[in-house]
Amino acid sequence: MVLNGRLSALSLDDQRRSDEPTKPEIQPETPPRPSSPSLSRIYRYTPIPTLVLDASMTVVEVSNSHTALTGKPRDSLLHARISDVGPECIPAPNIPILYGALRAATSTRETQVVEHILVDGRIAHNLRVTPIYEESTLLYIVLEADKLTAEVINSQHAYLNETYKILVDTVRDYAIFMLDPHGHIATWNAGAGVLKGYKAEEIIGKHFSILYSPEDRASGKPHRALAVCLREGRIEDEGWRYRRDGSRFWANVLITPIYQFGQHVGFVKVTRDLTERKEAEARMITAFEESSRLKTDFLANISHEIRTPMNGMQIAMTMLADTGLSPEQIEHATIIQDSMSLLLQIVNDVLDYSKLSSGSFSLHADMLDVREVVGAVVRNCRSSLKDGVELTTVIGRDFPVRLRGDPLRYRQVLQNLVGNAVKFTEKGSIRVSISCATDENDPDSSVVRTEVADTGIGVPDSAINTLFTPFTRFANSTTRKYQGTGLGLSICKSLAELMEGTVGFAPNPNGHGSIFWFTAKMGGRSAATPTKLPSAPATPVPTELATEMRAIAPRKHVLLVEDNIVNHTVMLKLLHTLGFQRVDGAWNGAEAVRMIKQKPLSYDVVLMDVSMPIMDGITATGQIRDMGLVMPIIAITGNALKGDAETYIAKGMNDCIGKPVHRDQLLNVLWRWIGT
Amino acid sequence: MASSTTTTKTTKEEKPVQSKPRTLADMSESIDQATFEQILEMDDEDEHEFSQGIVYGFFEQAETTFDKMEKALEEKKLGELSSLGHFLKGSSATIGLTKVKDACEKIQHYGAGKDESGTNDEPDEEVSLEKIEKTLATAKKDYKEVETFFRRDYYHDDETPSSPEEPKKDAKA
Repeated sequence: MVLNGRLSALSLDDQRRSDEPTKPEIQPETPPRPSSPSLSRIYRYTPIPTLVLDASMTVVEVSNSHTALTGKPRDSLLHARISDVGPECIPAPNIPILYGALRAATSTRETQVVEHILVDGRIAHNLRVTPIYEESTLLYIVLEADKLTAEVINSQHAYLNETYKILVDTVRDYAIFMLDPHGHIATWNAGAGVLKGYKAEEIIGKHFSILYSPEDRASGKPHRALAVCLREGRIEDEGWRYRRDGSRFWANVLITPIYQFGQHVGFVKVTRDLTERKEAEARMITAFEESSRLKTDFLANISHEIRTPMNGMQIAMTMLADTGLSPEQIEHATIIQDSMSLLLQIVNDVLDYSKLSSGSFSLHADMLDVREVVGAVVRNCRSSLKDGVELTTVIGRDFPVRLRGDPLRYRQVLQNLVGNAVKFTEKGSIRVSISCATDENDPDSSVVRTEVADTGIGVPDSAINTLFTPFTRFANSTTRKYQGTGLGLSICKSLAELMEGTVGFAPNPNGHGSIFWFTAKMGGRSAATPTKLPSAPATPVPTELATEMRAIAPRKHVLLVEDNIVNHTVMLKLLHTLGFQRVDGAWNGAEAVRMIKQKPLSYDVVLMDVSMPIMDGITATGQIRDMGLVMPIIAITGNALKGDAETYIAKGMNDCIGKPVHRDQLLNVLWRWIGT
Repeated sequence: MASSTTTTKTTKEEKPVQSKPRTLADMSESIDQATFEQILEMDDEDEHEFSQGIVYGFFEQAETTFDKMEKALEEKKLGELSSLGHFLKGSSATIGLTKVKDACEKIQHYGAGKDESGTNDEPDEEVSLEKIEKTLATAKKDYKEVETFFRRDYYHDDETPSSPEEPKKDAKA
């Protein structure tokens, strides 16, 4: 029904349209209603330049004023289709805008106004498009060109109706103004005057790039902004803008394009002064940094202050433990010692963290044998391994024997990651794999990538983002089963960054568990002979270490296992010069095992020759480990072949010294294992 | 310290080989200075008692070991030769006798059926034995050189100059 009604209305409409145009064509001079001939002359003699179209868009009347304005003879326009009349003769900016206005007028049956039509490059007219309907039938369309007075143009009435003009004009905190399509300033409000220091008459007609810095202008930023604005529909920007007096302010700028009847006619620009807000932000950041620095300093000082008495306690405890305590007392002493080590570890973590975050941490370039460090770390962690957890190491055979890097820092990161893996893995395996590749940007350097994969509890998704953030511990929320400061990983991150590397985490693809990895940049392959064990001391040992060793050595019980009398004698003497007073000697592995069986907890460290008659050092080590003893066993070997040290470490030894044994080297290794 | 003592004693002029006593520095090709100096540092004050004991102890050990090596060579016991090489390598390294140590290491490798650096296999036992024989001769020569130096020039031991060496040399030859 509705459809039918519509259809009939349309067809009726069409009929009339096709019928009607003929009337004015036949009798152009004849008014449609002879009874009131005077009315037809209204449009002929109106002072407003006017064209009258009929429903078929053909010109049926031209006012004399129109002829005067456009200079087009009346006859040339009459009976012409509006599409054949040049837009400048209507006057209209162009055909699309004119058509848009006509379409809008006939569909809304309301008067439409096309504003600020430029004639001779000036805003001169508004074109008023008035549709004349009788019932639902379009009779005429009247096109009138309202001439704008100079006053109207200058006071920007052309752009804004009165309400908006008042609104915009009264805003003093914002600069609100308009640009023509080419970026020339067309309007100027009071806020713009206050903010930018220009008066309206000074600035209107100037290009808006005058408000930008010379650098921005040179780089074409203003034009880019308009192009982006047209493409995106709007553009927001923050940056420095310049006042008339050359001073600058931090501005937030919002530009929006303006369209009229589908045609781009200009831009609206709103500028806010954010200088104060920016200054406030800067003040807040400074204040934050200052308080952060104070916190870090405080942490560093307090940690340092705690560490000193703790060391004293630890030494006193060790001495106390040696005074022949009863089993019960020994147990208590052990608890105290364990707790103290944990506490010291925490304090050291905090100290490291505060040093790292204040940037006062530095690397010591040294020669480093990654295999040795990995072996030592793995050995060290093995004692805390849960039952049934397997700990393996994978290092390529072509891995450089020596690299230039900081062994201590590398070890610290590795120790932390392996320690975490051991702590959080109840069953399954932990795999440490290390690879080395030439740095892409620096052919003289290598990037060492170390990966620790475990089958432990893994990391919940919610914690992944804060893993490397200081003081956060995801284990917190679930249970207090695992102890720690929550600093470990953030220290790892900082240390890795210090070594020009990165850290990262990924869930273990083989079921649950985690993979933590880090990279470190290290100096290229060294010229050191690859067949030699890292025996030659790289740096002379500070006498401090010797003094410290002498302080603890008398309390340490050493077992020396060496079959060669010459070496045995020299080692014995060497140990004495280092301050050791209780050194037992065994001449082969079997004898060593027998002596250890007699007093299993007596020895603090075993120095073990590898090749010996009756029983070699490796077999003896195996038997000692089978007794469940974990004291450090240090291999002393003449075998300087590549890979030997790894073999010994894999067989249960903790470290390895090559022959001839040098005093400083022995001191270093012993300190590593029995020093506090 | 070493040079000051050597210049005062020049009694053994009748030795035909060298008229002027050599110093430790002269022997740098055969003796690793740093290692031997470490042994010297173990001496009390100016007495060379400890270091001399060690060095002379080594001489005894070296001579016995060389004898054992000759015997093992005759019996073609490669494994025995390897472990003897390893044994003497350890003590010679401790004192810093570089050349002797290197030779002993080669013997260790040859005895284990390897080439001189211990990296590649040497399947032919006869070749290994032949190489050991040559290397043993070098080892003894190198040993003799340092022994003479220590006994004559370094510790100025007048009583035990040539008597223990001569018969041994004869026995082997």
